[in-house]
Amino acid sequence: MASKAELSRRVVVGTGLALLLLKPARSEPTSPEPIRFGLTPVFLTSDLELLGRLQSYLQLATGLPVNLVERRTYQEITAMLISGQLDAAWICGYPYVAHRHELQLVAVPLWHQKPLYQSYVIVDKKRDAQTLADLRGDIHAFSDPDSNSGFLVTRANLAAMGLRPENFFRRSIFTYGHRNVIRAVASGLAQSGSVDGYVYDVVANLEPTLVSNIRILSASEWLGFPPIAGPKNPPDGQRLSLLKTALLDIHKIEEGRAVLAMLQLDGFASEGAQLYDTIAAKAAFVATAG
Amino acid sequence: MLMTRLGKWPITVKVPLAVAALMITVGVIVSEQVLRRLEETQTRFLSDLSQSYLDGLSSSITPALLREDNWEVYDAIDRAKTINRGLRAIETIVTNADRSVIAASDPRVHPIGSQVETSLPINKFSFEAGANTASAMRVLSYPGRTAGIIFATFDTRHLAAERRDVLWALTISNGILTLTLALAGWFLVMRMMSPVRVLTDHLGAAQDGHADLIPSSNLSKTSGEFHLLFKSYNALVRSMRDREELAIRLAEEKRLGSLGRLASSLAHEINNPLGGLFNALSTLKSHGAVEHVRERSLGLLERGLNGIKDTVRTTLTVYRSDSQSRPLEPSDIDDLRLLVAPEAKRRSIRIEMINGLIEKMPVPATPVRQAILNLLLNAIAASPDGGTVTLTTNSTEQLEITVRDRGPGLPDWAAEVLSAAKLTPPRSEGGLGLWTTSRLIVQLSGRISIKRADPGAEIFIHIPLTRPELASAA
Repeated sequence: MASKAELSRRVVVGTGLALLLLKPARSEPTSPEPIRFGLTPVFLTSDLELLGRLQSYLQLATGLPVNLVERRTYQEITAMLISGQLDAAWICGYPYVAHRHELQLVAVPLWHQKPLYQSYVIVDKKRDAQTLADLRGDIHAFSDPDSNSGFLVTRANLAAMGLRPENFFRRSIFTYGHRNVIRAVASGLAQSGSVDGYVYDVVANLEPTLVSNIRILSASEWLGFPPIAGPKNPPDGQRLSLLKTALLDIHKIEEGRAVLAMLQLDGFASEGAQLYDTIAAKAAFVATAG
Repeated sequence: MLMTRLGKWPITVKVPLAVAALMITVGVIVSEQVLRRLEETQTRFLSDLSQSYLDGLSSSITPALLREDNWEVYDAIDRAKTINRGLRAIETIVTNADRSVIAASDPRVHPIGSQVETSLPINKFSFEAGANTASAMRVLSYPGRTAGIIFATFDTRHLAAERRDVLWALTISNGILTLTLALAGWFLVMRMMSPVRVLTDHLGAAQDGHADLIPSSNLSKTSGEFHLLFKSYNALVRSMRDREELAIRLAEEKRLGSLGRLASSLAHEINNPLGGLFNALSTLKSHGAVEHVRERSLGLLERGLNGIKDTVRTTLTVYRSDSQSRPLEPSDIDDLRLLVAPEAKRRSIRIEMINGLIEKMPVPATPVRQAILNLLLNAIAASPDGGTVTLTTNSTEQLEITVRDRGPGLPDWAAEVLSAAKLTPPRSEGGLGLWTTSRLIVQLSGRISIKRADPGAEIFIHIPLTRPELASAA
């Protein structure tokens, strides 16, 4: 579907160029290619105002039109990123380490001034469970099979106990959104869930009633914050560098600070790939544990 | 039983009751119709709404259902609930073909994987009027197989409340209407019946012997049939009064007639010996010198004059006005023979008297004598020529008088007049004497009984004795 749209766009642009060649009377310059920025549903995609402001800021900062591209799963966004259909995307540490040879880090968000976050295991407030081991037989809500905080961390913790989710839990459900994990646990659809600690804290701030019946059973060690990554060989290096500058300088102008305030982030930093070594280690451990 | 009791109720109660009964019947029928229409509308409305809810939900969950994607199904149910607020879905459960829950609106009640038991018929919508919930079920078919089932329950308390409100409104308005119409009916009937009440009161009074004219103030208030009825009633009262006056006048004339007869018989009584007396006088004139002739003539004169004296004395006694009541003496009874003698003689009737009185009786003499005289005259009139009339008097605890004749017997009307002692005189001209007798005996607190004898009739009169102390007290 997306690729079709892309295709048709190219057809239209191509046809337009052809028409321009045929009709030299047109004096207007060709409109520049837009920056295509991918967002995963792991992020707070439900907030249309936030998306609008982010788009406005990026257009303002880069001077280029910006298309925000959303897909249901990490997998779709990652595939589009690797295949060069996107200039950059806000992905997760897990897909980044999985594809680190094909991707480059553009910027890493700063939360509480650090490029780090945690993964939470959340349960119903009234439950007696103390550790992950007490959750045997639960219906467990994961966010996305390619999410670090919403899958990999819990998967690795279980693997450390020699367990696999499909045996340990009665059933695992994927909600394709951290907020959905919170909803699933809050409604009782799932008895426990693995969720992004940053998203959980933001939701707890914005919608206290949604988390009023939930408590955090356990929090992981601090891990590399979901980064903005681009293809190692970007379709247009200039566009990517414009985007990178816009992100790193986001705290410098009012429009950018408004976006940061909505995201409850402090800014973006340029970080090295070693930030994600712990995640890479978990992925490797899970792969070995089988 | 009930009908006869109903029949006795006044019309002012029956008409409002009939109006109320009619209104209640109409009210019940109308209410039933309204409620049925309301139920139909509610059911159709709810059914349509629930179908559209199920349609929307089906299309959004079918792909997720095929993947058994619990979250997607739950999310769709959650969104549908928000979108279809008007329907008030209280519970939605989506199961797979085996009725194992994929997701439910309240996962705590219906957790994933639990079984749903329901007796609902397939693809049916069920809503009972006045119930608090309605339920619907939809089987989702994917080409060739059943993909899943949606069970939905809707809150219909607002519909039940609406139905209750309508029922209340109907009941209250019908109640007020019924009461108003019943009151109006009562008022109308009261108004319509008021002339009837006037007439009933007057007729009742007439029955007790004092018929009054309906006053003209009442007469002017009515019109139509009642006006005519009142006028007719007044005409009737007037004619009744005329008749009473006529009867009184007739009695007076009869009394005068009797007086004439008495005077004539008195003259006859006196005239009878007069011829003999004049004879004796002329014998005395011509042969007075002869001693035995003189003696015989003087004897004749003396006896004749004695007879006249007796006649005059008796007549004086009969018509003496004793304003003070004088006790009855045995001679009062004996005098009666003299009084009826001329009439008896004329008819050659023998008067038999058995006077059992030996002393004064504490009963008023004049009315008793008058009553017995009337009975004797009546007995003489009833007897065949040459017959016998017997008068027996006796006294024990009370005065007992028996008059017996050997006539054809007392006719019924005469017996009625004698024993009924009515206030007004009898309709026929005859029987005035009997009526007078009955009134006299009633005034004396006496009692008359009649026995048919063969031949003739026997009339008994019992008169209680007046106690001396009572008499003196009076």
